[in-house]
Amino acid sequence: MIDLLWDNLDYAASMVLFCIGLYAVITRNNLIKKFMGLNIMETAIFAFIVALGVVDGGNAPIMGEGAAKPFINPLPQALILTGIVVAVSTTALALSLVIRIWRQCGTIEADELREAE
Amino acid sequence: MKRALTLVLLVALAAVLLNAVADLPPHGSPDTPAYTHVGAYYLENGSEETGSENIVTSIILNYRGFDTNGEVTVIVTALMAVIAVLTGVQDTGTQPDAEVIHVAPSVVVRFIVRVLAPFILVFAVYVILNGHVTPGGGFQGGTMLGALAIALTLVLGERESSRLLPQRSLRVIQVIAPLTFVAVGLAGLFIWGDYLFFPRDEKLRGFAEAMLVLIEAGIGIGGAVVFARVFRLMGGRQ
Amino acid sequence: MTSWPPLLVLFVLTPLVGAVLTPAVSDTSGRRSWEWALGTMLLTSAMAGALIMRVLDEGPFSYVVGGWVAPYGIELRFDEFSAFVAVVCLLGLLAVIFSRHYARDALAPGRIPYYYTLLLLNMTGMIGFIVTGDLFNLYVFMEILSLSAYALVAISGEKTAEMAAFKYLVMGAVSSLSILFGVGLLYALTGSLNMADVTGRLAGSAEAPLVLAFAALTLGFMVKSALFPLHIWLPDAHAIAPSPVSAVLSGLVVKVGILGMLRVYQIAYGSGAIDLSGLNLMLTWLGAISIVMGAFFAVFQDDIKMMLAYSTISNIGYIVMGLGLASPYSLIGASVHVFNHALIKATLFLGAGALIHQTGRRTLTGLAGVGRSMPLTTAAVSIGAISIVGIPPTAGFLCKWYIALGAMQAEEPLFAVALVFGALLIFVYYIRMVNAFYFRKPQEAGAPAVHEAPATMLVPVLILAALCLVMGVLGRLPLSFIEPAVTRLLAPLGGG
Repeated sequence: MIDLLWDNLDYAASMVLFCIGLYAVITRNNLIKKFMGLNIMETAIFAFIVALGVVDGGNAPIMGEGAAKPFINPLPQALILTGIVVAVSTTALALSLVIRIWRQCGTIEADELREAE
Repeated sequence: MKRALTLVLLVALAAVLLNAVADLPPHGSPDTPAYTHVGAYYLENGSEETGSENIVTSIILNYRGFDTNGEVTVIVTALMAVIAVLTGVQDTGTQPDAEVIHVAPSVVVRFIVRVLAPFILVFAVYVILNGHVTPGGGFQGGTMLGALAIALTLVLGERESSRLLPQRSLRVIQVIAPLTFVAVGLAGLFIWGDYLFFPRDEKLRGFAEAMLVLIEAGIGIGGAVVFARVFRLMGGRQ
Repeated sequence: MTSWPPLLVLFVLTPLVGAVLTPAVSDTSGRRSWEWALGTMLLTSAMAGALIMRVLDEGPFSYVVGGWVAPYGIELRFDEFSAFVAVVCLLGLLAVIFSRHYARDALAPGRIPYYYTLLLLNMTGMIGFIVTGDLFNLYVFMEILSLSAYALVAISGEKTAEMAAFKYLVMGAVSSLSILFGVGLLYALTGSLNMADVTGRLAGSAEAPLVLAFAALTLGFMVKSALFPLHIWLPDAHAIAPSPVSAVLSGLVVKVGILGMLRVYQIAYGSGAIDLSGLNLMLTWLGAISIVMGAFFAVFQDDIKMMLAYSTISNIGYIVMGLGLASPYSLIGASVHVFNHALIKATLFLGAGALIHQTGRRTLTGLAGVGRSMPLTTAAVSIGAISIVGIPPTAGFLCKWYIALGAMQAEEPLFAVALVFGALLIFVYYIRMVNAFYFRKPQEAGAPAVHEAPATMLVPVLILAALCLVMGVLGRLPLSFIEPAVTRLLAPLGGG
């Protein structure tokens, strides 16, 4: 299994990154840090999917003069471009919620907010 | 205690995840299903069928154009959500904005931003319009335009910079990205019978390219306006 | 006209364009936005009607966007499960109608146009999610749906609204990522994103990633539909949101997770590549626990919307248990309960919204004796309550009966017992509610006179209550409608 993991090192790294992000989401008390954990998880999944498209020795999938095979699989890149936009949108909404919470309650620590309720 | 428990659970989760990804088709091999099925078709025919040298762009705008249509809707949704959350109510809370420190940017910053602005603008437009031959496209260029708008807001101050955006038509311009997308898609539907259809004929290639440029420009401008708007809303002004 | 293929894509685009143009057509205080949203929803509903007529005529059909061929382009697909769009459009329409006075009184004026925009975007996301046949496209529409849902919770202006929305957002974003991860794994194994194509190419994949893919998808969809241990975001979000939004969230948005789960089953059963019996057993158990725990928590709530929110968890338990049992009867019952629960819960939430709007109180104690001053609304809410308990002449009965039959069919009578026990608990808390309405005296003698809500609020509630009764009488209609889809779903398993 270790051999296989070594071959799929990119996948393994993104899985570890995913767990680090999840750890931050669960244990961090500050809402912004919680959300940064979520951003790490997003990055991990995006890295995983982009890594699916990699081919050893591949070039950018741009045809035209001087382009040489093999090309990298373009589909995962196109998908993740969409994924990034979705992540940015979620982040924008989350941060504006945090701004409102801060203005209303004067704190963005989850435990203090729970006490205030 | 909570942390230790979380750590144990996550190590277990990581073991499960690693065990699973170890069995995936080998990374970097050209024989994986991911590479040989749909992806290979795009590489084989993408350039010819869509007329765009950059296959990523041909997927984004042609093969999976409907995804991108959804994607521009997502950013507009985010803008609408941010407006709905941040405006329209008086803050009743205990935390006034008194802690926000108003410091005018230094001369160095103001000078550099003013000098760089036209170059950033030209580069952003180049990236937006050249997406089909080089890496880039509407979103990438739109992000640069948005960053430019944010930098100018910081340097010029709010009142000055709000003149950069036509306030009266803002409510249309901020949703221009999905609107151009749908308009171009419907043009395809009514002329050629399929939503988001672009003519593949050699003779009509120029026409198809014009449609694509229109979409890219819509995404770029729409995206930039969304980023600038979100930034200003978070700063507390409309 | 009904068989014009691009109608399917226009069906997604109509609410989209209507949504993004709402702020532009209305002025800043929200005038004209109601009329605009209403027009958009009417047009969308008409299209939904046409599409359902077509699926009745000729069975499932699809349309590939942009004229590309199916696994290369994005395929939209409409089958019997997609007929859920009928309920989506109906509830969307009624929620918009209901909002006319509600939004004016409960929301800050500057927020009103954006409220309608987000409501329509929510509809767009839901419709897109239901009709798409492509896994990544599903994710994109799910995000439109989720983002608008988070904002709609925060919009209400209640004190803890932002916190509830943030909790919802974090859970929602983690579940979306889980789903995206599952989609990525399926792509790694098959090289395709088209659901039908993935189904065909899945056989012979390595086992560990395959199991992980289905686990990730299931986990994501179960968070979205708030199955028991994953439900913690739901009660606050659904109770704090504006009432029409609560109706949409509880009636429709949580069902999206269930519909996503049905797609997962279509892929898993259709490909035959994976044995889901372990997963099904777990879902059946969690469903049963969900029924009991949801009902149990609901009994102790005094806040009427909080009680309804917990009741949603309980009812999701019924549906998930029906899915998990995986016998023909239970699946038919579960799929129809997806429809019926949407109607019933919308009746209850809109009715509760009308009560809260008129009285200004949201606790059962505060609402005591309201049956005298608002007889029509309380009658409608009581019909909803009877339906959700599942007393025979109403909509809730047949589907629960079918799920129970399915439990017997799967030779798991224990779960039929859980179902009946859950129904009893549900009976207890709805009796409390009806008792408070009719048989308790108002607390304060000097309370201001309360009268029925304006017509825009009353009529949607009455329509929904009437539908609860009609669906009870015509209960076999949706059952026979959904049956071919269930038969097709289970066919690869053999038997059935």
